[in-house]
Amino acid sequence: MNTNSNTYTVIYTTVVCVLVAAILAFVSQSLKPSQEANEKAETISQILTAAQFGEKEDWQSKGNAKTLAFYKENAAEAIIINSKGEKVGELDINSSSIYNVSQLKAENYNIKGAGEPQLPVYIFKNGVSVFPVYGAGLWGPVWGYIALQEDLKTIAGAYFDHASETPGLGGKIKDDPEFRAQFAGKSIDFADEAVFSIVKGGAPEGKVNAIDAITGATMTSNGLDAAINTWISAYKTYINKNQAE
Amino acid sequence: MDSKLKETILNPIFKGNPITVLVLGICSSLAVTVELKGALVMALSVTIVTGLSSFVCSLIRKTIPNRVRIIIQLVVVALMVILVDQFLKSFESTYPLDKQLSVYVGLIITNCIVMGRIEAYALGNKPIPSLLDGLANGVGYGMILIIVAFIRELLGSGTLFGFPVLKAIGYTNNGLVILPPMALIILGCIIWIQRSIQKDLQEK
Repeated sequence: MNTNSNTYTVIYTTVVCVLVAAILAFVSQSLKPSQEANEKAETISQILTAAQFGEKEDWQSKGNAKTLAFYKENAAEAIIINSKGEKVGELDINSSSIYNVSQLKAENYNIKGAGEPQLPVYIFKNGVSVFPVYGAGLWGPVWGYIALQEDLKTIAGAYFDHASETPGLGGKIKDDPEFRAQFAGKSIDFADEAVFSIVKGGAPEGKVNAIDAITGATMTSNGLDAAINTWISAYKTYINKNQAE
Repeated sequence: MDSKLKETILNPIFKGNPITVLVLGICSSLAVTVELKGALVMALSVTIVTGLSSFVCSLIRKTIPNRVRIIIQLVVVALMVILVDQFLKSFESTYPLDKQLSVYVGLIITNCIVMGRIEAYALGNKPIPSLLDGLANGVGYGMILIIVAFIRELLGSGTLFGFPVLKAIGYTNNGLVILPPMALIILGCIIWIQRSIQKDLQEK
């Protein structure tokens, strides 16, 4: 057979492409449930880490099932609020509709004015509430969770993740426990011009709503600073309303 | 095992190493060698991809129309890479690693070693030797990756596989080692060492 004729070439490439597409579609469909389960367990382990229920690595080694079970045991509720701070729905933790990174990205556009944001709040039985944040780092998105104590003012803890920050520099927002440890005990302050700031060169002595930026990672620190300010401000009415109670 | 097959397997490990001798796959060896764990997974992924795509391309080598052979090879390689990526994502134990390697798993498609071995070997040889050639090249690539990652993680973060090793003796982490240029310098040193051992590689 002449493998160099035009007809043969066209038919051959078509068959190869259709075949490969079919294989990929099949594999993607059959692996989807386990991939989503992994993603969901990761999100939950990050929320748990922010709320000071152990470290993310420990949750990862304990496995998805234990992480989910622990969350269900300790969580009071997970609600969805709108920009007016009103509760518009409840998150079903058993369904796959938990806010993952791409959903946070979509909500980030909404916060910036593309539409009406629907933001999640994860409330635990010990009174801690966890709020997600999302923004742009140096190379790609950065996101994470800020946990506030029952007074909705004092920060209990935080956890951050990133898509492609420089390892060892910007990557420290995730990998350096000392950076994250700075958050605990600080507080947010809507009266200040910035709700919370990450200050290059070191936070001023005695300022309760600021921490030190990471040396050599100014862009990532600034990005995270903006992410926290944008998102926590989006929760402002909700937080103010519940602070007063 | 006949000597020719043995040569196929052993040559890429040292004498014809894809990174230090053929100087292929430099890009990813700069990017994923910050930590040993990532380098190990990358090495395994590349080994699987080169092996399997060489095998498949060799199986269909007589049917591929010559004019579109690069495209067909690329489709096969892309298929393997996406499969590896999807499987890494779906296991509980490998999911965090896949996230850590992020785009670099997908970028195996552009790793010159994969296409290079298909063009140079798989299209002219039987499937089983091609499979072995692909796997051996992946191992040769992975070996260098792990050596570089070992040096970079040890000096850059003071850890090995995440365990702090150098902290006890008061070592201050060297930030330069973490950045890609240092990987290039380490690679250069490895190539230098290999060339001084293997005199026939030196230009007259």
